[in-house]
Amino acid sequence: MTGPILVTGAGGVGKTTVSAALGVAAAQAGYRTLVLTVDPAKRLATALGLDELHNTPTANKMLPTLWAAMLDSEASWDQIARSHAPPDAADRLVNSEFFHAITRHFPASQSYAAAEAMAQYLDDRKWDVVIVDTPPASGGIEFFTAPTELTNLVGGRLFRWLTGGAIPGRRELFNVAARPALRIVDIALGSDLLERVGAFLFDLRTTYDGLRTRSQEIEKYFRKSTTIVVTTSDPAPVTEAARFFKELPQVARPPAAVVFNRTLPTAWEKAEIPADTTRPLARNLALWAREARRQETVRDEFAARYRTRIVSIGWKPSAPTDLESLAALIDETGLLADLID
Amino acid sequence: MQQQLLLVTGKGGVGKSAVSAALAIEAARRGKKVLTIGMVEKRGLAAHLGVESLSYEATEVRPGIFALGIERPAALDEYLRIVLRVPRLSRIGPVARAFDALASAAPGIRETVTMGKVLFETRTNNWDLVVADAPPSGAIGSHIRAPKTVSELVGAGKVREQTRWMEDLMGDGARTGLVMVTLAEELPTVETAETLRWISGEGLIGVAEVITNRILEPLGARIPADLSTPIGAAAALHAGIFQEQQRWLAQLPDRGRELPYLFGVTGPVEVAERLADVLEQR
Repeated sequence: MTGPILVTGAGGVGKTTVSAALGVAAAQAGYRTLVLTVDPAKRLATALGLDELHNTPTANKMLPTLWAAMLDSEASWDQIARSHAPPDAADRLVNSEFFHAITRHFPASQSYAAAEAMAQYLDDRKWDVVIVDTPPASGGIEFFTAPTELTNLVGGRLFRWLTGGAIPGRRELFNVAARPALRIVDIALGSDLLERVGAFLFDLRTTYDGLRTRSQEIEKYFRKSTTIVVTTSDPAPVTEAARFFKELPQVARPPAAVVFNRTLPTAWEKAEIPADTTRPLARNLALWAREARRQETVRDEFAARYRTRIVSIGWKPSAPTDLESLAALIDETGLLADLID
Repeated sequence: MQQQLLLVTGKGGVGKSAVSAALAIEAARRGKKVLTIGMVEKRGLAAHLGVESLSYEATEVRPGIFALGIERPAALDEYLRIVLRVPRLSRIGPVARAFDALASAAPGIRETVTMGKVLFETRTNNWDLVVADAPPSGAIGSHIRAPKTVSELVGAGKVREQTRWMEDLMGDGARTGLVMVTLAEELPTVETAETLRWISGEGLIGVAEVITNRILEPLGARIPADLSTPIGAAAALHAGIFQEQQRWLAQLPDRGRELPYLFGVTGPVEVAERLADVLEQR
């Protein structure tokens, strides 16, 4: 295989469903396929064969070429600490409340954990197709920039902010009296905290070399990746989708396609209403036709602006949750053939 | 809702910013002087209020409605000045940077700065109502818990001294309330129920209302037998979504007003105004 398939887009648009559908379609076509997903709805997880929360790839009983794994960012971070820091520092890190604060709240950290898991499975070379349902980001191409962001953070940005200059020795950091800025922070927070965070940052820094090397490998995979952007026709997710077309070319190939989920048939827009139609039914079609027209305008504007392949997935009352209907979602579009050649 | 501060949250994509703007518009129509705050993500709120962007200084964006967007450096600067009681600290830059570095690692501090700005504005009594377009439900817990987290983390510093009044203001159900926005779909419903459970367990803030967004009216007719025609297909889709929505609505432990699905509405300002119309009636 050439590289991973990365499924991106705003939250709530059906990214996980599209990732799963692509996975099922690829697996049914005979490719050994792995779907890495973040937070699937329960019924969808069950369809993928993820009855429990599996952090490691699990083969689907109904479709043995399909594997799936949940990305548990907290567990991944413990593993990252252990693989990049010396054993004693790693022990302190995974037990540190500061480590958990950073890995939980630093915007790019969930993205990084997912990217590192992705790289690990690509290294295994066990799958023909690896599909990543990218985690909800704080916006735009964060998944792609997370490795660099995080390496910079760990490598010294925090330190330099704290010390106002070069990276100090352990002793100098606590020389609060010598640095007026630190003295004020000390008054604000209490010196005990300053000291504890300082000690933590020393431990965190031991992961720097490992993180940097790994980040470079991850970025190599990104450059080989194929990205598809999922959206609905609503303004907020469309704006988010547009960001990928504007920003992604800086770090990887531009998106291969945009998938408009929950699309209504354009045929409704000009449908004739038979004379014997009851009023509620006629009114209902008029409403949905108006919405179909709005959607079409949004898609047309997007296509004209970004000159990209547009794939439409029809609006279903509930998201498909079995293998057949998942595959059907993608089969109609011909998208798989474009992504895997 | 009688509260003076509403924190509007919900899963990403449920229309949190649109509902925030609508709540503000509806209150302003009743003659209230309203401040809207974009706490983390500001573009959505700006669009629904019809402005390009939000600045850190409260600006009147529509008659009776002021808006500001929290920028962390500015909020940190203001916070430090208040906490340290220094009216003018000439070299706040290095202090802010050092503080920010600590705050990256120490849980609760950043969130306290952001929540602090919202609570400071509420405390000034300059506003009849403050509507905060808060972080999504995945991150709201760490913000609500932030003052408590900080007071557990730090010993006797000045930051800790500031946490008490924040907790008091947030916990006063007569003054502050959380508004949960949700859709009648599986993931938003599950996340809303989980968030509500967490909120009631922690007891740090009261829930003002659970607002469900994009709800369909009943079809009001039998679905035709022939689903191949647009009439039949549109009826089946409508009835199918309606049924699915009712199923998820029934699973919500707590339900307030319902907002309708807006067919064919394109502009974000029009969305906010139409939702405000409905809020006014219900």
